[in-house]
Amino acid sequence: MLSVRGLAKAYGDVHALRGADLDVAEGQIVALLGKNGAGKTTMISIIAGLLRPDTGTVTIDGFDAQRDLDRASKLLGIAPQDTGIYGVLTVRENLEFFANLAGVEKGVRPGRAESVAEQLGLTELLDRRASKLSGGEQRRLHTGCALVHTPKLLMLDEPTVGADVATRAQLIDFVRATANKGSAVIYTTHYLNEVEALDADIVIIDNGQILARGTRDELVEQHRLQGLEFTLTETLAEATRAELGAVEVGTHTYRIDQDLAVGALVAKLGDRSDHLVSVEAVRPDLESVFLAVTGDRLEEVSD
Amino acid sequence: MDVVRAIVGVQLRIIRRDPWFLVIMFGMPLVVMPLFVKTMKLSLQAEGYADATGAEQVVPGQVVLFGFMVSGSVAFSVFREHGWKTWDRLRASAAPPAALLAGFAIPWVVIHVFYQVVLMLVGGLFVGLRLKGSLIGEVLILVAYSTCLIALVLLLTATFRTINQVNAIVNLGAMLFGGLGGALVPVEQLPGWAQVVSPFTPSYWAMEGHRAVFLEPGGLADIAKPFGVLVGATVVLVLLGIRKFRADEAKEFFA
Repeated sequence: MLSVRGLAKAYGDVHALRGADLDVAEGQIVALLGKNGAGKTTMISIIAGLLRPDTGTVTIDGFDAQRDLDRASKLLGIAPQDTGIYGVLTVRENLEFFANLAGVEKGVRPGRAESVAEQLGLTELLDRRASKLSGGEQRRLHTGCALVHTPKLLMLDEPTVGADVATRAQLIDFVRATANKGSAVIYTTHYLNEVEALDADIVIIDNGQILARGTRDELVEQHRLQGLEFTLTETLAEATRAELGAVEVGTHTYRIDQDLAVGALVAKLGDRSDHLVSVEAVRPDLESVFLAVTGDRLEEVSD
Repeated sequence: MDVVRAIVGVQLRIIRRDPWFLVIMFGMPLVVMPLFVKTMKLSLQAEGYADATGAEQVVPGQVVLFGFMVSGSVAFSVFREHGWKTWDRLRASAAPPAALLAGFAIPWVVIHVFYQVVLMLVGGLFVGLRLKGSLIGEVLILVAYSTCLIALVLLLTATFRTINQVNAIVNLGAMLFGGLGGALVPVEQLPGWAQVVSPFTPSYWAMEGHRAVFLEPGGLADIAKPFGVLVGATVVLVLLGIRKFRADEAKEFFA
């Protein structure tokens, strides 16, 4: 459904994308996982035709997204990161307008609007002005507007930012249902638990480059770290840190990426072990995969 | 074309939901008109129009002046989309820049013409404005002036980054062009230098057209020149606007 080749984009000296490739098949959910500024939004903005790449190609269902933007755009739906709806219009009017904009025939629009509203739990609110909705409801409407024309490729840029727990769960169910109907989905997020809940194919992007791709289990298998994470009451001296091969991953918290028993760590710390607050074995999870692939932790956005 | 129609539809709906700016813009000239009729009657009679009521200057003058301010609304509509974060959603429809501009321009041209027509009719009812010349000629001038102003404001929209900048320019332009163009007092009463500058404003040509049918029994031939100048200016402004407009440029609405 989507084929991206060699996508590069720079803003002055800042390279947002450095030759990224990406393929997404029908019915597949791809979670783009990366920190702020990793290149996620730039990538989906280029795919949606909102930005022009410096180099590279985007093909959507066989149409070149730059040369045949009109046809390609009809196949995709995008919900940008910031909530973009018309507060003065009702939920129904918003959904019908975006359906209209995407070329859905007049007679079909009301049915589509009602169907999407039902799936997103907005049926009771169809005739309420969008400005009167709660933040979570607005976020659902924002997402609904992206797929009211049943796009073949749906792109959601951090759809759950600012959403409550119930809305998150509802959106994730909705995304899965959309993929089950055959749409390809690209979903950018900071939240690892969402990626797991979506059962998505995970693409780790950092510094404008795609560094790894696979299912959760594949990535964990390929990149899992054996090691320990420990916290002290004070900063570990540079020399000791180097001797242990420890990386600082938080305030007074360090990680050793090697198979090391707790006893051995205590012995290596010597007198400093008196300052130990906690020691944990590193579990093979997405967080450790992300750390192994990018050399950094994935900061989770607090809402 | 479908995209243009969709944007026109939603813009009209949004305007209908929040009409207060327009209501106020209708009210202001209606308050001003009666205050100046007597003065303008004397002024026009001094010019040689013995049977003038003063409404022939005051009503078109206020329509031209406040019409300029109303035209600023098209910029507000575009910048508001940026503030509402819906602009990128419109762009994702793959509409070419000219289609996006048309989607915002068309409703405001229609509203602007309607605005002028209503004020003229009210002027006829309450301050004695009477048409002596061609009705079609007057309609052509109204339409040409509306189109010209909307094209001018869209060029400003394409040029400036914030709504505050555009608002400032539109307000300044309304007073400056209105004054120089003869909307406040007849051009003949302006200082010499102002009379030289006057023809470079759309207000001047709109007023020329109005005078031809309200002060004189002018026909289509008499409004041909002002109409032609306004249409020519519109074409130039539209071409400049399309050339200057970049849909991917960030715009700042009110913080």
